[in-house]
Amino acid sequence: METFSFILIQTLNALSQASLLFFLGSGLALIFGIMRVVNFSHGALYMLGAYIGFTTARLTGSVWLAMLIAPLVVGFIGLIFEIGFLRHLYKRDEDAFLLVTFGLTLVIAEVTRLLWGAPPLQVPLPAGLDGVVFIFDEPMPVYRIFLIAAGGIASTVIWIFLERTRLGLLIRATSQNSQMVHALGTDINLIRSGVFAMGCALAAVGGILAAPSVTASLGMSSAVIDAFVIVIIGGMGSFLGAIFGSLIVAGVQTFGNFFFPDFALVFLYALMLAVLIVRPGGLLGKEA
Amino acid sequence: MTTSSNGRRTILRGAGLAAIAASTPALMRQALAADPIKIGIPCALTGSLAAVAEQTKRTATMWAKQVNAAGGINGRPIELIIEDTGGNPATCVRKVQQMVERDGCRIFTGITFSSETLAVMPRLGEWDAIYVACGNGDASMTAEAFVPNFFRGNPSGPTEARLLSLYIKDSGLKKFYAIGMDYSWGHSTVAAFEEEMKRNNIEFVGKVFAPTGTRDFSSYITKIRQSGADGLMMVQSGDDANAFMTQAAQYRLSDKVKMFTTLIELSTIKAVGEASKGVIGTMRYMSTYDYPENKKFVEQFTKEIKDTPDWNDGEQWKALQFIGAAIKKANSIKSADLVAALNDMELDTVKGPAKFRACDHQSLEEGFVVQVDKVDGALLPVLVKKYPWDQITPACRKKNFDS
Repeated sequence: METFSFILIQTLNALSQASLLFFLGSGLALIFGIMRVVNFSHGALYMLGAYIGFTTARLTGSVWLAMLIAPLVVGFIGLIFEIGFLRHLYKRDEDAFLLVTFGLTLVIAEVTRLLWGAPPLQVPLPAGLDGVVFIFDEPMPVYRIFLIAAGGIASTVIWIFLERTRLGLLIRATSQNSQMVHALGTDINLIRSGVFAMGCALAAVGGILAAPSVTASLGMSSAVIDAFVIVIIGGMGSFLGAIFGSLIVAGVQTFGNFFFPDFALVFLYALMLAVLIVRPGGLLGKEA
Repeated sequence: MTTSSNGRRTILRGAGLAAIAASTPALMRQALAADPIKIGIPCALTGSLAAVAEQTKRTATMWAKQVNAAGGINGRPIELIIEDTGGNPATCVRKVQQMVERDGCRIFTGITFSSETLAVMPRLGEWDAIYVACGNGDASMTAEAFVPNFFRGNPSGPTEARLLSLYIKDSGLKKFYAIGMDYSWGHSTVAAFEEEMKRNNIEFVGKVFAPTGTRDFSSYITKIRQSGADGLMMVQSGDDANAFMTQAAQYRLSDKVKMFTTLIELSTIKAVGEASKGVIGTMRYMSTYDYPENKKFVEQFTKEIKDTPDWNDGEQWKALQFIGAAIKKANSIKSADLVAALNDMELDTVKGPAKFRACDHQSLEEGFVVQVDKVDGALLPVLVKKYPWDQITPACRKKNFDS
């Protein structure tokens, strides 16, 4: 393989992985940024997205439909959880959120095991995306290119929504001074519920998008560690930080695994440590 | 969006907890009758090998139910203590210690990861406990890490590597690459395979170890494609095997290399479907094996669990058969008595006749090479060759083969 084609292939690999990581990390970043809630259940919701996607695909025969239904269902579960539990804890210490979302993780894991069983489940590739394209004679799955496009479009749309719409303005304002936003007549409970549901739905999108490449399995919930790494590197609570964090993590994983497979994980955590020392708030976080 | 330093501390605490999550306990105990024989099963019910551990749990539960229904062993019922280790060696040691000190349990089986077993083994003597492995392939357990209270009821990694290399020797393939899981089983099996390839004058062009729980294998696949190999050995299990095989199919890797695996799992075949077709590998236990003891087991299993037993179901059943027979023979649950009973014990098992060799406590049994193929429209492992134990088992206390 020529150097150029190798770099191109590996870059595409990294971008497709970054796309999956973006869906995982951005939800966590949004929820933390707006609500100051460390959603420990994010990995479990990611996994749940894959399982609900599996069932939808099995029942309807369409993985495309699964990609729509899974985030809606998981987003709704997030909404109910926010209204039923989190809403009553906003005046409590932040540790309360850790405990309650940790509890949700255990509940989701056990319910998933009961409903779907322990063996991993196959989620097929969406119709029309099961082929390969050849780039300098090297095969690249069409699905990977779809993932890159999906991540690029979703991140742009969400960024425009947050930065260029009135609702996005209110969300950002809530993250900075929720009492003031409330005093100005906006229902901040509604904003918090919506953001939490949206963050959960993003995790589910990540789960169902990953499932055709990794199968739906109980082990998927450990992805929460990647989500935390992305958020810590990119910037705690920063949406743009989540995008950069995903790109950095995917780049280090993809190129690191190729050139220094024994040290790729070490690089990642060393990078996280360096960011914490130099910029404790993360690369794009506001805290210096 | 801004954050406070309190917020940062909280999110870091969350990240710390996330790391611990993999080893979070999900306590499951089955309290049975009084004066029971307690058998501890600390297995990785969460994490990347959760499906394998679930097989241990369901099979052990079925075994205990059956034994108890028949009046127990020597009149004493079986009580299983099944706890989740998350696949973490430190958690596993803690769980075993708890079972020893809290429950007075001295008989253990079913640990999922070799790395967990290696952490437990040095403490067995101190705890006056025995452990009978059913799915731990690390080579050193019956070599330099051997302890008298440990028995391995499953084939070791080198046994599987030898089994496949005997098969590969005549395949006409010239260059091999290996990918393994980055823990003791993966390393020792790949090392044994590398040695075997060199012995067979087949070029071994490279190896790579992916961390347990890896989800994206694209760069590893690129590496394998670039290596110039025409054969690939996979030493993977559970979610890692599923993800790798799925992605290998998406990247059309089998157009470039012939794929072999040291461990074919039914759960993987079901999970990855067509991506597993044509893969050749060893199978520790085959539900389709034509043997009376196995037929009986499969019939009971299908009736009770309503599923087809996978490799670890069969291996766990065999380990429990040995434990049950040893307790019966020794009429005791003291570790010294059980060790004496298990030494050189021969049993008719679901895999055919098996024997625990006294010198290193390795189970001696036939090895199976299978290929995943379509049978009546369903993908199944099909037996392609069997090898006797003396061709595939390293000599006593040896990790690999001298010739």
